[in-house]
Amino acid sequence: MNPVLEVRGIDKSFGPVQVLHDVTFAAYRGEITALVGDNGAGKSTLVKCIGGIYPIDAGDYLFDGEQVHVGGPRDAGELGIEIVYQDLALCDNLDIVQNMFLGRERRSGLVLDEATMEEMAQQTLTSLSVRTVKSIRQQVSSLSGGQRQTVAIAKAVLWNSKVVILDEPTAALGVAQTAQVLELVRRLADKGLAVVLISHNMNDVFAVSDRIAALYLGRMAAQVKTADVTHAQVVELITSGRSGDLGLTNGVST
Amino acid sequence: MRAGPSQEEIRRHNLGALLRHVHLGGPTSRAELTSRMGLNRSTIMALTSDLTAAGLVREELPRETGRAGRPSLVVRPESSRVYVFAFDVGPDRLAAARVGLGGVILDRRESVRRRGAFDLEEVVGALAAFARQMHRKTRADTVCVGAAAAVSGGVDRSDGVVRYGPNLLQAEAPFGEALARKLGLGLQVSVGNDANLGALAEHTRGVGVSVRDLIYLHGDVGVGGGVIAGGHLLGGHEGFGGEVGHMVVHPGGRLCGCGSHGCLEAEVGERALLEAAGRTTEGPLGRDAVRAVVDAADRGDIVAQAALSRVGDWLGLGVANLVNIFNPEMVIFGGMLREVYLGSAAQVRSRLAIDALPAHREKLRLRTSELADDATLVGAAELAFAHVLADPLEALARVGG
Repeated sequence: MNPVLEVRGIDKSFGPVQVLHDVTFAAYRGEITALVGDNGAGKSTLVKCIGGIYPIDAGDYLFDGEQVHVGGPRDAGELGIEIVYQDLALCDNLDIVQNMFLGRERRSGLVLDEATMEEMAQQTLTSLSVRTVKSIRQQVSSLSGGQRQTVAIAKAVLWNSKVVILDEPTAALGVAQTAQVLELVRRLADKGLAVVLISHNMNDVFAVSDRIAALYLGRMAAQVKTADVTHAQVVELITSGRSGDLGLTNGVST
Repeated sequence: MRAGPSQEEIRRHNLGALLRHVHLGGPTSRAELTSRMGLNRSTIMALTSDLTAAGLVREELPRETGRAGRPSLVVRPESSRVYVFAFDVGPDRLAAARVGLGGVILDRRESVRRRGAFDLEEVVGALAAFARQMHRKTRADTVCVGAAAAVSGGVDRSDGVVRYGPNLLQAEAPFGEALARKLGLGLQVSVGNDANLGALAEHTRGVGVSVRDLIYLHGDVGVGGGVIAGGHLLGGHEGFGGEVGHMVVHPGGRLCGCGSHGCLEAEVGERALLEAAGRTTEGPLGRDAVRAVVDAADRGDIVAQAALSRVGDWLGLGVANLVNIFNPEMVIFGGMLREVYLGSAAQVRSRLAIDALPAHREKLRLRTSELADDATLVGAAELAFAHVLADPLEALARVGG
């Protein structure tokens, strides 16, 4: 199977500090790829390079098998890559529909096409089997943490996106809401999207992911199928960059 | 010796097949039915008009097709007119629902029950009272075509008698018969094992739609299971099949309600988790208690984490055995096992990586129940509709619709 999104040999430095060394990473259609690593391993930097926020110093960026140049967030958006950040970037004083269409409102003539936007928002939520939100005209300030996460994820899906990257979507949620968000993330992939999930919680990673990519000090220690590894192996990859045959040799990928 | 099915048998089969398409797939255009069933247009027209005349389906013009040509009529199930009663007898709740053709839950009643021995009269009385309340609110032109109940116990396929149920009714309870008598609607009440019906529900309307080989694991006090192989529920010789909770995973382990030691149910059931987390003495039982353990583990409580990791390890071992034997495409965790799986997935999948055969686990999908707490009720409704889908006109004639 060919990946939808693939980066090869990515290098990234901030001044004298090299944050990513020769990183290769791929995300596949219909699968959840968990991106794991200790604090400072380079997860966020890698995601920002993919999202076009940071330019890459070296390496190839392939989308649907074609070499592309991503010069900014807009380019990534046009390819169909959406990133849901930890702080969600929702506006508290707007309702769910307004948030989902923020900056990309539908118009009919001079006025906003509220009816179409409402219908599209409702369809998206229904297609994701979201039952927790009562009214889509509710203000976001009245929503719980889990519901906000749901809206932010639905917003990313609304735009026919092909790759959705989620940064710690279950951090700071209670157990019931974590379960709902994990099930939602799983449904995104089952609908055919390529999902990248950044998480520190190994249970969340193992519960939903199909592949695990472990970063260690700016290098990709290994990208493996979740079905083939144990919890202990993944922890070793995160903390020491290698585990048995997997991972880096002398700090360099083989 | 017979030459083959008669015209009449073929027609009956086709009526059932068409109704099943609409019942499971929702409103469907005649053109789509023609291509899906592989029958010609005039046959489909004759079948739909028979079903329309019987009041089982209704035909409508589609809202808009956006395509040229005369639009094909859409066949919809008469969900608000034709319904069944579905019941669920669980350790912590009694539930009843009025479910319309097409699987729509039209109305429901539920009561929390306290743990303890079941009294047949009491359970049947409460369920029949729910049904009567809901029946009273229906319009005059509605028709109830069946009833079925999900119970957590072994149900004999031949007579609907609950033969055993360590967590529930006394052995040999003629539950279906008693409920039918109390309902007084002149209907038989089919009875099924709750986990078997949960498997059926996830297969027809949940996360396992279009998956032909799946295993559904249902956790409440114990652990039940339903195995769907090649699109059919495995019942075994007398219908007791699928009791995966009594697979021994730990010889000489914890005592199980069935009298054996180290059954999967004894190692991963609610009691095992709560005891390992040191939460048995008093306090809540059931889903809330399980959720509290997962929550505590998430917040860093090491006792709760150790309990979940231990339970997850046994659960993984049980699933690995099942995966090696049945090679399912999907394993679904329902009831309280949903929380347990999400809270201990690292252990469950580590076990699978070690103990399941590589070819078997490669394409295996692990999912949580989509119907959640409704799985058993939805499954019971499907069981109640089964005879209507087998022979729609005869079933309707019998209830005088």
